[in-house]
Amino acid sequence: MFLAVREMKHSKLRYLLIGFIMTLITCLVFIISGLASGLSSDNGSSIQNMNADYLVLESDVDTRLDRSVLSEEILDEIQDLNVDAVPLGQQMTSVTRDGMDQKMDVTFFATDADGFLVPSVVKGKGLDAGHPGHVLVDEKLKREEGLKIGDVLKDEISGEKLKVAGFTEGQTFSHTPVIYITNEKWEKIQQGFSKKGKAVVNAIAIQGGEDTVDKVESSLENVEVVSKEEALESIPSYQAEQTSLNMMIAFLFVIAAFVLAVFFYVITLQKTQQFGVLKALGAKTGYLAGNLIGQVILLSVISIGMGVGCTFGIQNLFPEGIPFTISNQMLVQYSLLLLAVAVLGSLLSLFRVVKVDAIEAIGRVE
Amino acid sequence: MMEEKLLFQEISKVYGDGNTQVTALDHVTFGVQAGEFVAVVGPSGSGKSTFLSIAGALLSPSSGSLFLNGQDLTGLSSKQMTQVRLNHIGFIFQTSNLVPYLTVWDQLMLIAKLAKVDKKQAGEKADQLLSRLGLEKRKHHYPEALSGGERQRVAIARAWMNDPEIILADEPTASLDSQRGRTVVEMLSEEVHARKKAAIMVTHDERMLDLCDRVVNIMDGRLIEKTATA
Repeated sequence: MFLAVREMKHSKLRYLLIGFIMTLITCLVFIISGLASGLSSDNGSSIQNMNADYLVLESDVDTRLDRSVLSEEILDEIQDLNVDAVPLGQQMTSVTRDGMDQKMDVTFFATDADGFLVPSVVKGKGLDAGHPGHVLVDEKLKREEGLKIGDVLKDEISGEKLKVAGFTEGQTFSHTPVIYITNEKWEKIQQGFSKKGKAVVNAIAIQGGEDTVDKVESSLENVEVVSKEEALESIPSYQAEQTSLNMMIAFLFVIAAFVLAVFFYVITLQKTQQFGVLKALGAKTGYLAGNLIGQVILLSVISIGMGVGCTFGIQNLFPEGIPFTISNQMLVQYSLLLLAVAVLGSLLSLFRVVKVDAIEAIGRVE
Repeated sequence: MMEEKLLFQEISKVYGDGNTQVTALDHVTFGVQAGEFVAVVGPSGSGKSTFLSIAGALLSPSSGSLFLNGQDLTGLSSKQMTQVRLNHIGFIFQTSNLVPYLTVWDQLMLIAKLAKVDKKQAGEKADQLLSRLGLEKRKHHYPEALSGGERQRVAIARAWMNDPEIILADEPTASLDSQRGRTVVEMLSEEVHARKKAAIMVTHDERMLDLCDRVVNIMDGRLIEKTATA
């Protein structure tokens, strides 16, 4: 590091510029991944936060919750296997507040009022089998539409009325807030759709491990057990959003690798003769390589650190509505990945350093 | 009998093979004694650079043996050769070739660091060398702030840092005017005599030859001894 630090101190501008580029790239990586995960939870936080391990869906529906249709007999069959299971009905619709014309897009999640799918209440009361008309609403509706406890909502399709009993948080599906309703209400709403007049559910949520999955899949026909991640990815628009953002992130990693690779390669080429001199003076290749890697690591660590700081700074400038979440785990993971990519990019220069012959120092005028 | 610091025994160096074969050094036998300052002169393409590269353990000879301070260097691996250069050979290059981002002080300390010499001891040595070569005031300057003559003096100081058995100078005066060049060579010569070490200087600057104890002419890969011209 003797040479690495002194060179960086001496050629400040050069290293500052490249450090600045690295900082910007890091910052962009974190902003885009923050948006990606923000959008992801804005889109499907109800699935992400769901207190279940697996969802049983109808087979041959591309694991899409909205397409799957299961009869209640299947629920009984699963429960007969001694598996913790509750039904999940899902319906995207729009509701209006009683006495107003403004429509709001929402998703109904119907389940047992005392089942494990009902999320924790942050304000008010939860579902109650005794009051089938009471619903638990995601607080996004409170935040954005000013909904209050006690407000009455009307389903535009079935015309059923729902009373807001309490609020929960982190419950969205396909970017719409989720309204948890009781099975009893669900049956009424469904009568509007189902010609047979018989309630159906979209999925059955189960708790348990791999063995439970095997048990269910082997004893029931025409069903498929999917993990929460698979169900999440099957939400319409989820894949499209995430794929494009993740592609940008992947490209940023490639760009970071190349920018650093080119920078250090050009600098190394410039210093070929100097490396020759140092080798002639008795510097081992390993020593010179160590200094090069040292520079890359030092530069990357500082730039990534500044990039992280910059991300938090920019985050504060975002308008309220932009979904942006960044976890510490993601910060650490991506920082390490960027560092690894930077070191990988410097391998090309390392190869040059190894190849420089000490004899370059003799008989050359420059 | 005087101590042979460096000894070439029937050394040849051949580049290429078959029809394109070039003999750069042809059975050269040559020795430098302790306290001796030898000049090697010759036209370009005569094999001067090859001669210096072999003497400096930068290149292995095709045949023959090389002894440095009694140690046989023939057949050493490149790693061992690096170690020999670090501990026993001092280099002074054509254009000083100081590391541009190190101060005069760090140039010297780098050598100590590479050789893993105790910092304090190295510091004393560097101070001593710099004052001998009149560079005390330039200690914290970068090469870009030094004159050509000063740079070569730093290069000389750097070459002495590892207390080498032999100093190899590759046209040290090439980028200097004659007066400065002479001062530099004088300093080199004084140090060699004072420390009882050996030095070989490749040059084509005839004006410096009177400062050398012996002049060797190199022509088409063969050495021809000349007595020093006054």
